[in-house]
Amino acid sequence: MTDDLLARAAAELFARHAAPAAVRAIQEGGPADALWAAVEEAGFADALVPEAAGGAGLALSEALPVLLAAGRAAAPLPLGETMLARAALAGAGLEVPPGPIALAEALPGEVPRGRIAAAGPAAWVLLPRPEGGAWLLPADGATREDSSSYGAVLRWASAGNARALPQADWLAAGAFATLAGMAGALERMLEETVRYAGERRQFGRPIAAFQAVQQQISLMTEDVFAARIAAQLAALPGGSGVAGLDTARVAAAKARIGEAASRAAGIAHAVHGAMGITAEVDLHLWTGLLHRGRLRFGAEGHWNAWLGAEFLRGADAESLAFVRARLAPPPLEETTP
Amino acid sequence: MLAALPLSAIPAEDEALRPAIRAFLAEHVPQIPPERRARSWMGFDAGFSRALGGQGWLGLTFPEEYGGAGRGPFARYVLVEELLAAGAPVSAHWIADRQSGPLILRFGTEAQRRFHLPRICRGESFFCIGMSEPDTGSDLASVSTRAVREAGGWRLNGAKIWTTNAHHSHYMIALVRSSGTAQDRHKGLSQFIIDLSLPGVRISPIRDLAGDAHFSEVVFEDVLLPEDALVGEEGAGWAQVNAELAFERSGPERVLSSAVLLDEWIGWLRAGAADAASTALLGRLLGHLAVLRAMSVAVTDRLVRGESPVVEAALVKDLGTEFEQAVPALLEDRLGADPAREPPAALLRALAYTSAMAPSYSLRGGTREILRGMIARGMGLR
Repeated sequence: MTDDLLARAAAELFARHAAPAAVRAIQEGGPADALWAAVEEAGFADALVPEAAGGAGLALSEALPVLLAAGRAAAPLPLGETMLARAALAGAGLEVPPGPIALAEALPGEVPRGRIAAAGPAAWVLLPRPEGGAWLLPADGATREDSSSYGAVLRWASAGNARALPQADWLAAGAFATLAGMAGALERMLEETVRYAGERRQFGRPIAAFQAVQQQISLMTEDVFAARIAAQLAALPGGSGVAGLDTARVAAAKARIGEAASRAAGIAHAVHGAMGITAEVDLHLWTGLLHRGRLRFGAEGHWNAWLGAEFLRGADAESLAFVRARLAPPPLEETTP
Repeated sequence: MLAALPLSAIPAEDEALRPAIRAFLAEHVPQIPPERRARSWMGFDAGFSRALGGQGWLGLTFPEEYGGAGRGPFARYVLVEELLAAGAPVSAHWIADRQSGPLILRFGTEAQRRFHLPRICRGESFFCIGMSEPDTGSDLASVSTRAVREAGGWRLNGAKIWTTNAHHSHYMIALVRSSGTAQDRHKGLSQFIIDLSLPGVRISPIRDLAGDAHFSEVVFEDVLLPEDALVGEEGAGWAQVNAELAFERSGPERVLSSAVLLDEWIGWLRAGAADAASTALLGRLLGHLAVLRAMSVAVTDRLVRGESPVVEAALVKDLGTEFEQAVPALLEDRLGADPAREPPAALLRALAYTSAMAPSYSLRGGTREILRGMIARGMGLR
């Protein structure tokens, strides 16, 4: 399937099963069974699993359109997380259990403990271990601690006989799953904002006709455009992380998209005025996803510090040399037909 | 709504140019102090430009029959990236290589091409661009400098201002009115190649706030231009000017104007000045740079394919210049974070220059406000 066809298939699926009303219901704790079943049936959750192991065998960059589409719908699903977890399980020759897998950010404690998305389905939780590697733990065996919409903190009495995965950068994997959804949400939020600015009239004309509004939306367009390119950079294959992720590219993208999210969400709200603050208008589905996404799997502060330290660990004297070597697509070789 | 750009990469054959360029620059540039290298594409050195010409690196994209190398835009992208990252003084040939030459190639007569392009490629002929006038800035269609046809040529009267390098240049390509009045707006404008040694041309350099005289006012008093001074079609000046702008807005020069300062600061961090806040700021700037470069390369790829990504190019320029301006603004805070520590004087001098000139980054080549208006139009808001 080409990128375009896959993107269209995903858009249709989420339009049918993750319309704003359905998204709200899941966020309020309702079941996500129908949505998840549709995602499974489409094969999206196995997109990164090799064909030999029953998956679609897609590269990250090929699967990106699906994650963007999920973000556009603000679908409360650990779809990118499940994709990456299943790819790692299959890669380690382990059995892939049915159901959605949430990636957790590991938290310190005497017992296995971590933070997953506050809303959305999870049959399993992939929890990185302090000594490296990760456990695959049953979600229904966990106790939920006092939590917020930024994430649910879960703990297990023990890891029991949980499946153990080999060492991998699971923080970067979670950051990628998160940033891809954020890039999609940003695009949708921009479209909604442009539409609203064209409909809402003041002083006898649409507010889109005012230069002050136009300049703000232009600024937002720039950030959204940058976020999309950043997500594409992060999805380039060839890294040594889960499914070929590269931590440096993920670091740059997660931080850049976090910055874009903050500024663009502010502009979207400014354009929507008081209407944007109401529960009724869907804007908060996207702004909420963006605010939560900033915090999950490392915010700008974390990844900027990581990337700066990575530069200083290396030998590059110049910023451009580092960007070319570590944060750019590799040169195109001439292909002979 | 804008479609996302596919990521693109520089072709390997063009990347292959990089080592030779870097070796050449390593030999010629490091002895220039950082505050001079911080002038980026405003640094003037005619000898350096001729040396580049000697390497075959001027007019890289011009056909070989005119003295060029017949390479594609990505070859030039690699060259410009390395020149600007190093802080090489490229200003002498900059306009001729980037805009005037390509314009003459595209719209000029065969005789104009044969005369001008080989001289540009050898670094012997420097150009400037006459756009702004004392009463014409962003509203470019209101130019009032006028060329009136007469026997054997044209009579030119008027004035151009903020013309970079006019006092160092041999020729100016100017946008002037050749028919009608300012009310006709985009109609009746033409482009002329003006020999700046002609009688009636008076060039007065204007001192800038950094103490340089990089721009000038140029007054034309009854300057008699020969018939072949007209470039392209009479009355088509506006369309010709706009045809060059997408390349002009999305190249490395819209991302790397503060690169010398950034790398000077990095050198100090590597020498032991890195603390947690500086390391995080470094990471942030690298991330921004990576995303901007990916956008710039993606837009260049569209241009190579013959598309005209005008709005995307405007996005790159606005975001790119914002980054270029953020570097000195953030470093002023960082370098003053510990009052008991004195950063290297050369680093501070590079910072002082860059901070002072940074406002010009979002003025030259179309102001930020004009660009955002173009983006808004692209988004269907106007």
